[in-house]
Amino acid sequence: MPSATVNKPRPSELLSRLTSAEPEVKVRALREVKNQIIGNRTKKLSFLKLGAVPAVAGILADSIDDVTENNNCNNTNNFLVQSAAALGSFACGFDAGVQAVLDAGAFPNLLRLLANPNEKVVDAVARALRMIYQSKLAPKYDFLQQKNMEFLISLLNSEKETVSGLGASIITRSCETNLEQKALFDAGILRKLNSLLEGGSLSQRDASLESLATVFRNNPEVISKFAGPEIGRPLSSIIDLAKDRYPRTRLLACMCLIVIRNASPHFLQDIGIKTKLIHILLELLDDPGQVGDEAPFAFSSLIAQKEDLQKLALEANAIDKFHHHIKKGSLHPRRYEGILLALADMCSKLESCRSKFLSLQVLNLVADALTDYNAGVRAAACICLKSVTRSIKNLSAGYFMNETIVIPLVQLFLDPSTSVQVAALGATSNIVVDFTTRKSIFVQCGGMKQLVQLAKSMESSVRSNALWALKNFVFQADNRLKEGVFSELTASLLSSLIRDPEPSVQEQALALVRNLVDGCINLIEFVFAEDGLILGAIGRQLQCASKAEIGIQGMYALCNVASGNEFHRESVMQLLFTQMGDKNQSFVVKFLQSNDSQLRTATVWTIVNLTCPSSPGAPCRLEKLRNAGIVSQIKNMVNDPCVDVKLRVRTVLGQSMAFGDN
Amino acid sequence: MPVRVTESSTPSQVSGTNSGDTSPPACTLLSVGQTFSGTQNVSSLQKEEAWRVNVRIQGCDLEHGYLCGTMEALNVPMADTPVVTFWEGEIVDTKNYTFYTGKWEASPEDDKRHWTKFPSFSPLLSQVEVDGGKSLDLSNYPYIFMRWKEQYFVNVGTDCGLTIAGFYYVCFSCSDGSISGFYYDPNSSPFQKLELKSTNEGRSGYSFSSYELQ
Repeated sequence: MPSATVNKPRPSELLSRLTSAEPEVKVRALREVKNQIIGNRTKKLSFLKLGAVPAVAGILADSIDDVTENNNCNNTNNFLVQSAAALGSFACGFDAGVQAVLDAGAFPNLLRLLANPNEKVVDAVARALRMIYQSKLAPKYDFLQQKNMEFLISLLNSEKETVSGLGASIITRSCETNLEQKALFDAGILRKLNSLLEGGSLSQRDASLESLATVFRNNPEVISKFAGPEIGRPLSSIIDLAKDRYPRTRLLACMCLIVIRNASPHFLQDIGIKTKLIHILLELLDDPGQVGDEAPFAFSSLIAQKEDLQKLALEANAIDKFHHHIKKGSLHPRRYEGILLALADMCSKLESCRSKFLSLQVLNLVADALTDYNAGVRAAACICLKSVTRSIKNLSAGYFMNETIVIPLVQLFLDPSTSVQVAALGATSNIVVDFTTRKSIFVQCGGMKQLVQLAKSMESSVRSNALWALKNFVFQADNRLKEGVFSELTASLLSSLIRDPEPSVQEQALALVRNLVDGCINLIEFVFAEDGLILGAIGRQLQCASKAEIGIQGMYALCNVASGNEFHRESVMQLLFTQMGDKNQSFVVKFLQSNDSQLRTATVWTIVNLTCPSSPGAPCRLEKLRNAGIVSQIKNMVNDPCVDVKLRVRTVLGQSMAFGDN
Repeated sequence: MPVRVTESSTPSQVSGTNSGDTSPPACTLLSVGQTFSGTQNVSSLQKEEAWRVNVRIQGCDLEHGYLCGTMEALNVPMADTPVVTFWEGEIVDTKNYTFYTGKWEASPEDDKRHWTKFPSFSPLLSQVEVDGGKSLDLSNYPYIFMRWKEQYFVNVGTDCGLTIAGFYYVCFSCSDGSISGFYYDPNSSPFQKLELKSTNEGRSGYSFSSYELQ
């Protein structure tokens, strides 16, 4: 049935009324602005563009002056209430609005008005400030200043729900460092927050739970003081609230308990509480609103990196439940992203979880999410894929190397978002390990060529991840695939990547060379292409390796070259001795003395290959190694704490004895 | 003929109170990409027979005591092509797995009968009889004990007339990368011996490739 249209004044018209000399017109205009923008981002934006916020902030400022001169006239209070409420509406859930309110200079005025004698004014102002403090743009509140702390305590002590809630919001948004957390504890704030938990209203309890989580985050010291006898039984209050009738309170209580457990694992060890948390968070997924959107993120922070919790979650049918939600479709992007990330954490460590995931055929749904319009969802789908593809059993069966997954993944290599690109490369790195003969599918999809292009990216994280994927791709690949990669990469690009300014890129480039020259002996020739560009780059990089991982990959690359023929071994020898550093010492001695057992292992293996008794040049090389102090260093390592090193050292010494050394 | 694994290293001291990591040491010769070749003796009372076998390590997760790879049997009489199987291994690390199998129809007696076939096991026997070896410190012992269980045929169907119902008791020598194993399947010839040596695929030295999962 048609309804009568109500003629609402246009924004420009309202804006002119805000400057009216008539107080009643002005107040009505303020109220109208507030009503029009509540919950309407488009309207907020159009008023913002017209300059409404400075106009409203101006009325607030003028009214404050009136308060000083006039003392408590009704009109003035009306202006204050309505302008504060309008500013609060602009700031509510809208960062551009918050920024405009701050730019208009309204923030200090709002703070001052908290001391106004009129209750309605204080209430409206406190609400507006809470809206501002829900945004990351809110000015940081300095708790370390005594007068600020006193003011905060006065807010929390207020009888008014909005004012004490504001105090809690300030803590949630501004407390960042351990020092600030401790200062809040020392000032008795936690005791106050706890009393709000136990005797406060719904909104006070929720605000208090959020603040407590902020003060506990990564701070076991504050947690143990809070959970100690001094305050009573605060943890049980929070545990009780996790069973509250209100979904948001349940979620916030769970988040607070998760923060406590993640910072101090000895708390909440009881398996009953862990299971309860899992069940509550899974149930909260059914909430259609923001609580349901946030629940999977809280679930992730509960189970991430913790196999015991992942096992419990599997038993609680978490994967089935997430699967059920994705299958329903048309999810809010935030929820979709959260569920994919929760699945990623579930499948990050345990094969039993991955088996469940694959048996439910969640993989197809994740493949669909790779093409979602939302970048967060696409990245989360890649991260989920990365976790599931850690299953060596399924990689061995070639389960993941198929066009349904590979084609959309390769398309994401060119995604405008770097985080999506990096996540796609991460998943690809696992998938291309494939042990079957299906690696060619990746080439046919254009993946290999794209990876080579990304190895030239301006973003170092993209370069290093592209090289990581190429390294895994050529692992145990046949000669044809390796030759394809090398001709696409070229010796000059690979050598420049070995010398990249970024250590993670250097490491991956060296690891790629290591894998390229493994297998058929002819593949060793790659490092001699273009006058030995690559071999020279390896030598220079090893001389100045900034971390052990670079040394490890570089030494294994040399070890693999030295497993070839006499020419290869002599070339490695030449490299070891031309790259002398300080004190005319080869990097080999430095590596043998390293604290990193893997670096010592890789280095000793290279010496094993260089002194292999069946090769004619071995005695001469042994002599050079002896003269350079390398053999005596190796002799010092016969009781190396690492068994692997110790055994290889014995091999070298056994070989050297074959040439008459003792 | 069984080859005795000769090793100069003495077994590391066992301790029931060690609080550090007591798992076997990491060994580059038992890392991903490493290959081995040798034979499996499948002789029965009726005839002497040995199959040539190649093994490749495909995955290794020491934290979970997990190893996997493929096994290729080359001259299997009833097969036209080499038969490749995928196997998964349990590393006896006293944390994830002990010397007692507890499944695959292997009783503790079966376990002991097989493990004692490895000379390098004898210093460990008395402790294994007490608690399955849970309190052994294997972190300095140059041998790694494992069970390898074939999971599926890679290149032939299950109707190929071969069985993968059993599993291997395996002993790996960290010194030279040699592997000895005994196949156990209550329905097959007992103590089929597997003997493998580390190979270097036509090279005159050792080569190591690697992949890393993200």
